[in-house]
Amino acid sequence: MSEGPFIDAVNLRKSYKVGGNRVKALDGFSISLDEGEMCALMGPSGSGKTTLLNIIGGLDSADSGTVMVGNIDVGKLNERQRALFRKKNVGFIFQFFNLIPSLTAMENVLVPQMFESGRSGGRAEELLERVGLRDRMDHLPRMLSGGERQRVAIARSLINDPKIILADEPTGNIDSETAKAIVSLFKELNDEGKTMILATHDRLVAGRARTMVRIRDGRVQRGKRPPGQGTIHLKSGGE
Amino acid sequence: MKTARETFNPASYALSHLKNNPFRSVTMVLILSVTIAFLLLVGSIYIGITMEVGGSKESNLWNAPGSIDMFEEFQIDEGLPEEVQNTMLNWLFFTSFLIMMVAIFIIYNTMAIAVEERKKEIGILRAVGFSSREVMRVFLIEGAFIGILSWIVALFFGTPLIVNLAAYLIKEGQKGLFFVQPRIPVELAIVSLLGSIALCTVSTYLACTGTVNKAAVDLLRVE
Repeated sequence: MSEGPFIDAVNLRKSYKVGGNRVKALDGFSISLDEGEMCALMGPSGSGKTTLLNIIGGLDSADSGTVMVGNIDVGKLNERQRALFRKKNVGFIFQFFNLIPSLTAMENVLVPQMFESGRSGGRAEELLERVGLRDRMDHLPRMLSGGERQRVAIARSLINDPKIILADEPTGNIDSETAKAIVSLFKELNDEGKTMILATHDRLVAGRARTMVRIRDGRVQRGKRPPGQGTIHLKSGGE
Repeated sequence: MKTARETFNPASYALSHLKNNPFRSVTMVLILSVTIAFLLLVGSIYIGITMEVGGSKESNLWNAPGSIDMFEEFQIDEGLPEEVQNTMLNWLFFTSFLIMMVAIFIIYNTMAIAVEERKKEIGILRAVGFSSREVMRVFLIEGAFIGILSWIVALFFGTPLIVNLAAYLIKEGQKGLFFVQPRIPVELAIVSLLGSIALCTVSTYLACTGTVNKAAVDLLRVE
């Protein structure tokens, strides 16, 4: 393990072409997180939260700046290496669940492992049981409620036992009761040592995170812990 | 407890998708199976024509184990004159080529529409850790399934078509026109199976390659 922070993103810039204009999604964003940290990213829509998650998770690449995860320089990986990086290290959770409609809950959880031969569904079953969907394993997503779909998505994100969970508005589309249960689940996962970054509008979610970063116009606006100059270093207090 | 959940792999993924889109799957299978049935007929005619022309049995271009010696069986004394044979073969190959192109085009289009609808799904697969090559593999397996299914249906269509056509020609006593090989030899069956799979996977590849290689974030953004 390297000495420094577990996730270290430095001076990230990313812009998109929207119509004829260039829109800056990230404008010199930096963040460092320790392993096992739970960080809430708050900010209005379009502030760059999703872009940041995508870049840290190796789904997208920054125009400039570096992202180190452990001792992997994510920006330097090629397409295939990045896919492998995502598979091994990152669990994505999305606002709209992103389950595959033609597959049952169980199969959706198993999707990330479909090329691995000889894996049993045992772990998937365990995970579905953990999220409280043992009796819903053979249901298609359209037969599940929003909260249930999100729980399937959480189980899927855990199937490869990733170190990092990146959740983009995970409670954005579910009722507040279910959201509470999901937040508790996140807390549990964090207690087990998963590093979590949650992009959210939801105060309930943000309230449970040890670290909070406000992002606006692709820049760090402020953090729960005082940032250093330019770069924000948000170390958790240590237990 | 189903055992299927113990063995979830790209093949089961492809199958469950085909099962959940029955209309599209059946359409593709029907179109392709008619094509393959036609190609089987062409194959059988090819064998029939080239079988004994020019004399000895050893000169057969296609000496399939399922073939029968039509000359002995049906007391035909001579094969088709060479010019007629060549003309016929040329036309047959030309028609087969056209029909195959049409099939590729139709399957390509159907797949292209399917892939367009499944952009988000491709994005999800990429997000959970598959490279575009692996995603392509899933789609190719799906294509191959359609190829195999169509081939099976084609045998059901094709065999009776060929046998009946042969029977009709025999009954009519059109010995000079007798060139339909009244069976499907094993080799022809195997070649048509491979052809069917190739046709499907090639059109699937052509239809998917653009989308599968797009940036994952763009695919995920699709509503």
